[in-house]
Amino acid sequence: MDQILEVNDLTKSFFSGENKLTVLDTISFSINQQDTISVVGPSGSGKTTLLGLCAGLDLPSSGSVSLAGIKLNALSEDDRAYIRNRYVGFIFQNFQLLPTITALENVMIPLELRGEKGLVPKAREILDRVGLGERMDHYPLQLSGGEQQRVAIARAFFSSPKIMFADEPTGNLDEETANKVTSLLFDINREEGTTLVLVTHNMELAAHTDRILQLKGGKLIADKQLRVV
Amino acid sequence: MQINNYGSYSGMEYIIKIKKPRKTLFNDKWVWRMAWLDARHNLTRLFLFISSIIIGIGALVAIDSFNTNLQEDINTNAKALLGADLNVRSNKVFEEETLALFDSIEYEQAMDVRFASMVLFLTPQGGTRLVQVVASEGNYPFYGNIETLPDDAMESLTQGRFAIVDESLAMQFEVSYDDSIKLGNLSFIVKGIVSSMPGTNVVAATFAPSIYISLEYLEQTGLIQYGSRYSYRRYFKTGTTEQADLLEKRLLPVIKKYSYSHSTVEDEKENMGEAFENLYRFFNLLGFVALILGCIGVASSIHIYVQQKKSFIAVLRCIGASAWQSFNIFFIQSMVLGLLGSIAGVLLGIGIQHLVPVMFGKYIPVEISVGIAWGAVLKGLLLGIFISGIFSFLPLSDIRNIPPLSVLRSDLNNDNKFSRMKLLVILLAILFPWVFAVIQTQSIRNGTVFMGALLGSFIVLTLVAKLIIFLARKFFPTGWSFVWRQSLSNLFRPQNQTTVLVVVIGLGTFLVSTLLLIQHALLNQVEFMGSEERSNTVLFDIQPYQKQGVSDLVRTYQFPVQQLVPIVSTRLSKIRGKTISEIQKDTSDHIPNWSLTREYRITYRDSLIESEKIVKGKMISEVAQPNDTIWVSISENMAETLHVDIGDEVIFDVQGVPITTYIGSFREVDWQRIQTNFIFVFPKGVLEEAPQFYVLMTRTESKAKSAAFQQELVTKFPNVSVIDLRLILQTIDQFMDKVAYVIQFMALFSIVTGLIVLAGAVINNKYVRLKENVLLRTLGAVKKQIVQMTLLEYGYLGLFAGLTGIVLSLLGAWGLTRMFFEIKFVPDYIGLLAIWLSVTFLTIIIGWINTRDVINKSPLEVLRKEV
Repeated sequence: MDQILEVNDLTKSFFSGENKLTVLDTISFSINQQDTISVVGPSGSGKTTLLGLCAGLDLPSSGSVSLAGIKLNALSEDDRAYIRNRYVGFIFQNFQLLPTITALENVMIPLELRGEKGLVPKAREILDRVGLGERMDHYPLQLSGGEQQRVAIARAFFSSPKIMFADEPTGNLDEETANKVTSLLFDINREEGTTLVLVTHNMELAAHTDRILQLKGGKLIADKQLRVV
Repeated sequence: MQINNYGSYSGMEYIIKIKKPRKTLFNDKWVWRMAWLDARHNLTRLFLFISSIIIGIGALVAIDSFNTNLQEDINTNAKALLGADLNVRSNKVFEEETLALFDSIEYEQAMDVRFASMVLFLTPQGGTRLVQVVASEGNYPFYGNIETLPDDAMESLTQGRFAIVDESLAMQFEVSYDDSIKLGNLSFIVKGIVSSMPGTNVVAATFAPSIYISLEYLEQTGLIQYGSRYSYRRYFKTGTTEQADLLEKRLLPVIKKYSYSHSTVEDEKENMGEAFENLYRFFNLLGFVALILGCIGVASSIHIYVQQKKSFIAVLRCIGASAWQSFNIFFIQSMVLGLLGSIAGVLLGIGIQHLVPVMFGKYIPVEISVGIAWGAVLKGLLLGIFISGIFSFLPLSDIRNIPPLSVLRSDLNNDNKFSRMKLLVILLAILFPWVFAVIQTQSIRNGTVFMGALLGSFIVLTLVAKLIIFLARKFFPTGWSFVWRQSLSNLFRPQNQTTVLVVVIGLGTFLVSTLLLIQHALLNQVEFMGSEERSNTVLFDIQPYQKQGVSDLVRTYQFPVQQLVPIVSTRLSKIRGKTISEIQKDTSDHIPNWSLTREYRITYRDSLIESEKIVKGKMISEVAQPNDTIWVSISENMAETLHVDIGDEVIFDVQGVPITTYIGSFREVDWQRIQTNFIFVFPKGVLEEAPQFYVLMTRTESKAKSAAFQQELVTKFPNVSVIDLRLILQTIDQFMDKVAYVIQFMALFSIVTGLIVLAGAVINNKYVRLKENVLLRTLGAVKKQIVQMTLLEYGYLGLFAGLTGIVLSLLGAWGLTRMFFEIKFVPDYIGLLAIWLSVTFLTIIIGWINTRDVINKSPLEVLRKEV
């Protein structure tokens, strides 16, 4: 199976005065298309930093990230934005919906950004799919946390990304809502055949994925295949 | 998408360069759509931005339109202002040669003699008043409309011993048709009232209202005495400007020979333009201030708007919007709102312009028309768009540096990257106000000074803000109670608005206080009645034979004779051996012509008076022997103008008798003092026998006693005129009140813009503090504590910023009074204190209004909103 993400000797360090803090230390791994993978580890282990680097939101101090065969290190920020728009979907712990536009408009943004038109029927369809058919003209503030995260899931999958990055997608939800959102996320992911990279410290959620990468102190301490796709 | 393979890594091929379709502001429909989608819900926050533009542009358009229309009106009505195509004026009877030349001119002519005199009202109410008598002959004015009651009142002047009086005079002394007045030895019957006369205005009429009589009765009034100031005028109606120019050339030899003054319509236009130049400049500067405050309003509201939009922008960047696309969304919002604001500002300006003539049209001698000045409209629109672009670009440029990673880490700081584009915009932002100030003031020096002062104020206020932050942190009082500590620490904690608020509040205070100080200094100039000892009544045109009689009359009323000063009229004949005409021809001298040809009223005495002191040379008190050298004293200003020094020879022409003198001393004269001040002072023993008249200064007590005295004086000595300084003071006071009202009205624009900026800064600050205050409430802080903390924080800011603004205004007003107005700087500490307290109070009030959201809503509601 083709690789969608390849990470080689990835290191990220920060400087505070003369002190050097290494958040990620020579991490290497690769992910195949349609894999579901979770990155777990305690707070401060470097999970979110790794996600940011893999998604092209940040640049490493050394090492490289190749996404869909494109070496992100060599690209400008605008070029990386262009790649994100074509290949990447995001789901965040705090939903990150644009507060001044409706649920429907939020969903359409990634494809509108590509210049595509006639998106309303398709956007309505996916909002129906996440159970928000009646609330698509509501603004984020008028929705509950679970509803907001469902809109975020719809937005993330709407552009048919090759890879989905989810940062603690249920971290801000109660257990019941979290379970519903988890089911929805994995169901749609399966239907769409998207690669899913899930960052969490919730082992129960991580157990839904095929493979678990465990980080500690910025190092990859375990790479465990739970099931073979 | 086209992807090119350009590199390799560990033997594998990787794509390292992306070729994507080029999108610009104009072909990227998505940014326009996002701009609209986002703006729909931010209109209230952007209202402050748009208000700044509206008020700034409104002020500018109103002022520019008024200036343009006034200039056009002056151009159109210049003939009516002059009342003729050409006039020639002399302060003595025209010479035979001149009269012969006038008689040979074929154009229609008219003449009049104007002079100040006392009038006695023979009405039941009675009373006396200093007036301007206009004794006329002919059909002047040839142009413009005279408004009289009845309509044909002016025609009655030729039909008998009749007079027409100014409307203000008629109202003040309740003069009606067929009442009698007395001018000198003659009484006249009032046959009409003048409400409008070409070339005069309410201001002039307030100080010296006119009475019109026929020239044929002037002699009989007995008012023509030695020393009185007369203006003999001859008016010509040529019909066209070209003919007026030809006539002017024909008359120039006698005009020059006898030092007459003359005016053509073109001169009148220029004079009027100059008369209003300071008004233009003042208003233009007010417009400039309003516009600059508008610029600050734009920049600060967009800056805070961008701060609130950080996460929005990060999400957009995260899902694939480029840095420029993110920037363009908000740039489009700014530009569209800037355009809308400019249009609204233009409409507001046009509306306000209609108010201006209503407010002070009567102080201007032309009827101000109200029309749309398209130049001003276009200028306002372009400036509004330009300001929106430049001053929103600076804060918006930060958008390009917001990292997409801040979606995951909200505490991530974006680097303040410097780009060539940003540098260019910063240069434009500095250059624009400077160029604009130069254009508005029509002077590179004034524009630069003004811009420098503004920039200096910004720098000082910014430094003060930094100092406040530094001191509050460095000497933080750890022992204070929680509320006091929390409010003080708000000044230096992350995301504090101390600098923005101090600059905005300080600048507003600076402008308002400077206006107050200038106004106070101007008013102080006319408040000369404070001292118990000072003279308040001046009697002039006293002939030598009347000297004793007038002095006795003054004493009869138990008024003191404080000064009795002889005055002799002279002209300059030679300076340092060169005749006046030789000096006039010599262009290397650079001595202004007016100083050579004017009449000098001089006195003689043996000592200095209170208002003068010797700065060079020695005052010679008396000439003992007829052949002794005559050493005269000259005021230092005039010595500079005439380029004379100690020991230089100056020959005076005293009524045809040449008197050779030498400059013996320079005097510094305080011309502001109510004294009989002179440019030249002769020693005693020279001019005693020359034709002269006297001025007497006294201090009258009650108004009634003063009126009785004046009535008796006019009856006994009809040619002696009285200036009642109390009346003048009262008139000036009323006039200054009205002028101050107009100035304050126009200054209101700047103040309103300042208030909008202040409110904007404080309201935007609310969003920074809101979440924190809600958290404090959640943790158990009671409403009272939240209110106290807010009031204290804004109290600190208001106090410090206000004080800095006031200190700056003291410096600014000192500079303005010394350099521009050339008047004494008199600080009004009570007024400044009032402003300081008001600014602090206003800041606290606006801050308090802001906390209502936190106080009146449940913490949960606000917290949920903020998620």
